[in-house]
Amino acid sequence: MPHRFPLLSEESSDKTPSLTMEIIFRLKVKDAMMTNLRTANKKDTFRVIQKVMRNNDISGVPILEDNRLVGMVSVSDIINALDRGYVEESVEPYMTKQLIVLEDDMPLSFAVSYYNKYPYRRFPVINKNKEFVGVLTTKDVLSTILNEMNNEITLLESQIFHDKVELPNQIIKEYIIKQFDFENAGHASFRLKKLLKEKEVSRKIIRRASVAAYEMEINVAIHSNGGKISFILEENSITIITKDTGPGIKDVAQVIEEGYSTANDWIRSLGFGAGMGIPNTKRVSDEFKIESEMGKGTTVKSVIFLEDTDEGE
Amino acid sequence: MRKKVLLKDIVKAVNGKVLHQGDCDYVRWVVSSGLMSDVLTTVEEEILLLSSLTTTQVVRTADMVGAHAILLACGKPISPDTVALAADLDITIISCEMPVFETGHYLSSLFFEE
Ligand SMILES: Nc1ncnc2c1ncn2[C@@H]1O[C@H](COP(=O)(O)OP(=O)(O)O)[C@@H](O)[C@H]1O
Ligand SMILES: [Mg+2]
Repeated sequence: MPHRFPLLSEESSDKTPSLTMEIIFRLKVKDAMMTNLRTANKKDTFRVIQKVMRNNDISGVPILEDNRLVGMVSVSDIINALDRGYVEESVEPYMTKQLIVLEDDMPLSFAVSYYNKYPYRRFPVINKNKEFVGVLTTKDVLSTILNEMNNEITLLESQIFHDKVELPNQIIKEYIIKQFDFENAGHASFRLKKLLKEKEVSRKIIRRASVAAYEMEINVAIHSNGGKISFILEENSITIITKDTGPGIKDVAQVIEEGYSTANDWIRSLGFGAGMGIPNTKRVSDEFKIESEMGKGTTVKSVIFLEDTDEGE
Repeated sequence: MRKKVLLKDIVKAVNGKVLHQGDCDYVRWVVSSGLMSDVLTTVEEEILLLSSLTTTQVVRTADMVGAHAILLACGKPISPDTVALAADLDITIISCEMPVFETGHYLSSLFFEE
């Protein structure tokens, strides 16, 4: 069976939110399938299997021989057997033998494409050694995806400030920064620049705030597991805060030094990793603070007064 | 105050191609670095950002320092995303085939001749 990643359907896949795509690529068939299922032997009669179905409230029974899947008997096979009078016979000659199976290591996206391709609502699952390990139904797929989305959304929500109440004369904006998201990194800083322009803040201050925000935003994208950036605009100041979820900085004093960087070659090839970001930010800030705890995360705070002082550049 | 150098003269001097024409038609300074943090330390305004990098972050960086234009040297393939972002932010973006140092050489004659 080919192990390429199939698309859900040609047109829908690029409209599907990336989180959803990520989930169905990340989850495996084995994460969703039902295990510990009732199985039967090919010598069993339809009558015996009908009882197994009724007692366990299931609509299909895999037929095994030495852990190998050799066939499948469904409710409609039982109905046919009743209809045509062979219900007391062994299932072997009648059971479905041409089975379409999934492998337990396949991504769930693969299974979803099977549901598009075949008329079945249930697929037997085998492992690498071709042993029967479970069954995947549409219901399993749905509940697993829903469950995972729920977890992801809870996580995303936890990354958003809860006390986002604006006081009078205060504007608060927040943006999520994803790890290694070079496509969107800088977007939040662009929004800040726009906001400050609208509020007719002086060009010099806008430039300082933009530099601080951009360096801070990039640092979260390239050095952390992801986090958020917040802007608090008040009458006399703009405060920029980044908060991430790890890995943290071992020695905060060290990263304030010009030229210190842990960036790898890949990051350098993108034009970052000169070890100037934090010194730059500090230089353009009137107040600057960095706090970090290993394993927990890093918080960086920059305050720039709107009235041009001689401090910070 | 440094003299204004017209972008159309720059395009001619480096045999460049204009990928997006923004609002501003001149610059007074050239800033060149492969490191974005370096660019972010400049205090000059009305600049041309000369770089061999072609990522969208070059455009973001140019925007943060209020650059009037970006010149991408070395003739590397430039992704449509980079051009689209420059167009969005209305920053002129030009490409040329020469390497950065050679481009700089041709530019300096424009900026320093009387
Ligand atoms: N949010 C962060 N989480 C973990 N480490 C960070 C974070 N921000 C900065 N660092 C560390 O501080 C170093 C210096 O940062 P910076 O001065 O911006 O330089 P650069 O980003 O060019 O490496 C980084 O190389 C990294 O090791
Ligand atoms: Mg940095």
